[in-house]
Amino acid sequence: MQARQKHHLTRWASVLLVTLGLVACDKPTEPAKSTASPAAAVDTFTVLATSDLKDAQPLEKMVEDATGVKLRFKFGGTMESTEAVQTGQANTDAAWFANAKYLLSDPQGQGRVKLQEKIMLSPVVVGVSESQAKVLGWDQPEVARKVTWNVIAKAAQSGQLKYALSNPATSNQGFMSLMGVVASAAQKSEALTASDVDRAAIAGFIKGYKLVGDNSSYLSEKFIEQQNTRVNAFINYESWLLSLNQSGKLKEKLTLIYPHEGVATADYPLMLLNDAKREQYLKVVAYLKGDAAQTWLAKTTLRRPVNSEVAKAQASLFPQDSMLVELPFSTDRALADGLINAYLNEFRTPIASTFVLDVSGSMNQGGRRQQLVEALQYIAGDDASLTGRIARLTSREKVWMLPFSEQVYSPVFFQLPGVGKGAATGKGLATQADSEGKQKVLGQVRDFADSLNMTGGTALYDAVLTALVNMHEERQKNPGYQYSVVAFTDGEVNKGRDMAQFKAAYANLPEDVRAIPVFMVLFGEANEAALKELVATTGGRVFDARKASLYSVFKDIRAYQ
Amino acid sequence: MNKAGKAIVTVGLLAIFGAAAYFSVYQTGRQPASGAPSTGVLGGLAGKLTGAVPVEELSGLIALDVEPYFQDPRVQKALAANGFKLNVQRIGSRDMAARVIPGQTPDFFYSSGVVAANQIGDAAKKANIATTVYSPIYTPMVIASWAPIAQILATNGMATEASPGVWHVDLAKLTQLMLDKKRWKDLKGATAYDVNKSVLVSTTDVRKSNSAAMYLALTTYAFNGGEVVTDRDTAQKSAKAVAGLFKRQGYQENYVNGNFDDYVSIGIGKTPMAFIYENQIVSYAMAKKGLSPGMVLVYPQPTLFNKVVFVAASARAKKLGELLSTNTELQQLAVDFGFRIGDSAYFVQAAKATNLAVEERLTQVIDPPSFDMMAEMIDVITREMAQ
Repeated sequence: MQARQKHHLTRWASVLLVTLGLVACDKPTEPAKSTASPAAAVDTFTVLATSDLKDAQPLEKMVEDATGVKLRFKFGGTMESTEAVQTGQANTDAAWFANAKYLLSDPQGQGRVKLQEKIMLSPVVVGVSESQAKVLGWDQPEVARKVTWNVIAKAAQSGQLKYALSNPATSNQGFMSLMGVVASAAQKSEALTASDVDRAAIAGFIKGYKLVGDNSSYLSEKFIEQQNTRVNAFINYESWLLSLNQSGKLKEKLTLIYPHEGVATADYPLMLLNDAKREQYLKVVAYLKGDAAQTWLAKTTLRRPVNSEVAKAQASLFPQDSMLVELPFSTDRALADGLINAYLNEFRTPIASTFVLDVSGSMNQGGRRQQLVEALQYIAGDDASLTGRIARLTSREKVWMLPFSEQVYSPVFFQLPGVGKGAATGKGLATQADSEGKQKVLGQVRDFADSLNMTGGTALYDAVLTALVNMHEERQKNPGYQYSVVAFTDGEVNKGRDMAQFKAAYANLPEDVRAIPVFMVLFGEANEAALKELVATTGGRVFDARKASLYSVFKDIRAYQ
Repeated sequence: MNKAGKAIVTVGLLAIFGAAAYFSVYQTGRQPASGAPSTGVLGGLAGKLTGAVPVEELSGLIALDVEPYFQDPRVQKALAANGFKLNVQRIGSRDMAARVIPGQTPDFFYSSGVVAANQIGDAAKKANIATTVYSPIYTPMVIASWAPIAQILATNGMATEASPGVWHVDLAKLTQLMLDKKRWKDLKGATAYDVNKSVLVSTTDVRKSNSAAMYLALTTYAFNGGEVVTDRDTAQKSAKAVAGLFKRQGYQENYVNGNFDDYVSIGIGKTPMAFIYENQIVSYAMAKKGLSPGMVLVYPQPTLFNKVVFVAASARAKKLGELLSTNTELQQLAVDFGFRIGDSAYFVQAAKATNLAVEERLTQVIDPPSFDMMAEMIDVITREMAQ
């Protein structure tokens, strides 16, 4: 499954942002392998593709062999990619996203797109461990066929469904799942508005949200580890879940539930951005929609063909279920905006995390301190762009700032106030301005960042261990939070425990410390291999901030918390 | 992006009506410097092949609808055999009138609708350029649907199967049903499509697309008690009344084939009824791309024709217009792209070769309102949709 590298599907929506915002938007979520320079040669055709399309990379050679056009993918996170297209910064001839409806329902985004063709299809569905499907009665097709998002939300609320899902604030699957619950609870699918939102239904659905992430590769890895212990369901694209079922890595297979009257299908439009490459675009599209490519895509990536002849020929690859009734895509911005805000600040399990901050002397070089201070100030700031809102500290959130150099200092604790009682009931979405209390705490975080002093060596492993112990203790006291450690370093560990000692100490911690992931930020001269080894032990992920701004990396991490 | 913003406004005001009209084409048309696409020197090869005929070189601006036709080597050869070599450039129909410039006007325009052709005619009159209008090919507006859906409409007394596989739907009754916000599961005998969705016909974005503007013309006609809208007050009132039929669809595709793509690839679950040009599905069926079982055409009673209008702006182009309208080979080749021609028997024969049933003779057909009325109504819808 890892080999397929298929991940983090369309983060839906940066079109909501009106402006470019403060941040560079060229930061890929992963070390993006750019195989083409932006100013490509005349005979190449460059495509900015969302990283969930990495499994389609063999198409580069297939297209070149068949058409002579040198197709070259450049992968990036969906949110950044959408933003890049919208602002005209994509620097590629075309863009290929799982879902471009938000981009295309915005006049500016639409103006960038000269031509578009849908290449393949994959609906967002719910994969449930077979044994749990049986418990719920969903192993019977006639029952499964009638399972609505409302039924799914109720199963989540009662604790019967514990699912993995990519972040609703940043991903297409996550957002469309919330919309499915809204539509289903409101008993209507068209013309949904903010006033239709049944808060209790959303809150119930979120109760089952146990595995958070922003990338399907990451989520799958965790899902395989935690299947039937912490999670028993996975909400994702059909293609991804079918692939997991085929991988042989699951403890048991997933029964696919296609929500009744609430399927959201990704249609993968290939969009021409550079009119001068129209001829190449048409050749590429003709090939991609032709029999050979469509058959390959269906068989290898398990996405449904748009070419109906191939669809007929390959029908056996896909569940032959009943008619899939599509959830209309609401273009109501107040609904989308409000839902995301409410998700972050009210509905989601609140975040509790320790930021392990390297304040060693080397941070004084090359503006590193400045980058760290600014990144912290941004997350405690007021960047109203969509990516900014996700990065921002949310209501109810708990943060411990844990600076370290050659020793680990005392943690400094901040807690953002909640939005008041009774928020998670009733109907509708109201936009809330920050309360005075929230503004005050945000100010304190910014002041804290400003006061950081950099001196001494690097005792990273000691600091991470301290943070994990702290989080674990907090988790036992207050289980109703989503715990994680974010650790940031710019150099080699030269003080305190070494890796072996860290591992030994970690092994002595109670078993359930494993539920706390460590998100490691690679910066400056930090040792990439060592950090990877660390997260392999603790669970979590390494984020590379050597080529991107630290703030954009922090933004990415927020989607995993 | 200023240009996009400006374009949207222009689209709203000018009304895409009569244009083959999708946004990207429009954009392209506005930016000749960015390398507006051209189908290039067509007929060059064919011209050489038949050196016997003296060659007339003509320049023309053509709509998207007829671009594949002119790209077809058989068409190029037939034109060459008749002494024509064409330099054509594809632009949006609604941009054509602006290209009527004394001394720089192309020989002909081939626009995708009557209203765009009228605009060109007006512009030409002002510029003192004589024009002659031909309408060599046309296609009716239809609802691409599914047998179970047509059956449900029939059970509810608004549709009939006129001949095997060809359905008629009473436009007034269907419009009323949709305005009443009826859901499929509320209808009699709806077990085959027992879903909570509202009964709605899918269209592309009315702010940008000609086919959706045609749908607006039909639904306002129905709302207006079977009268074509001819005055501003009625236009305002009717458009306001039917705005929900667009708005309630949610996200709409804004390129010309988007709606049809969803119909054929995603199917009945997303698109039980799609408002399209008949030639879209006929050419699709002819290309043997595989019609799915259950696909049927439902003809609104009444419906509209979309005429593809050839405007000749030079004496030489008049000859071409006549040729396109009367030359059997050139006419019959247009049928390969799903269009109807004067020889309806030939069209019917060709369509029969596919497994798609089409209506042989359409009798109930109305004209769209005037350009001004359409612009007025699209403006109302645009405002309603922004709310």
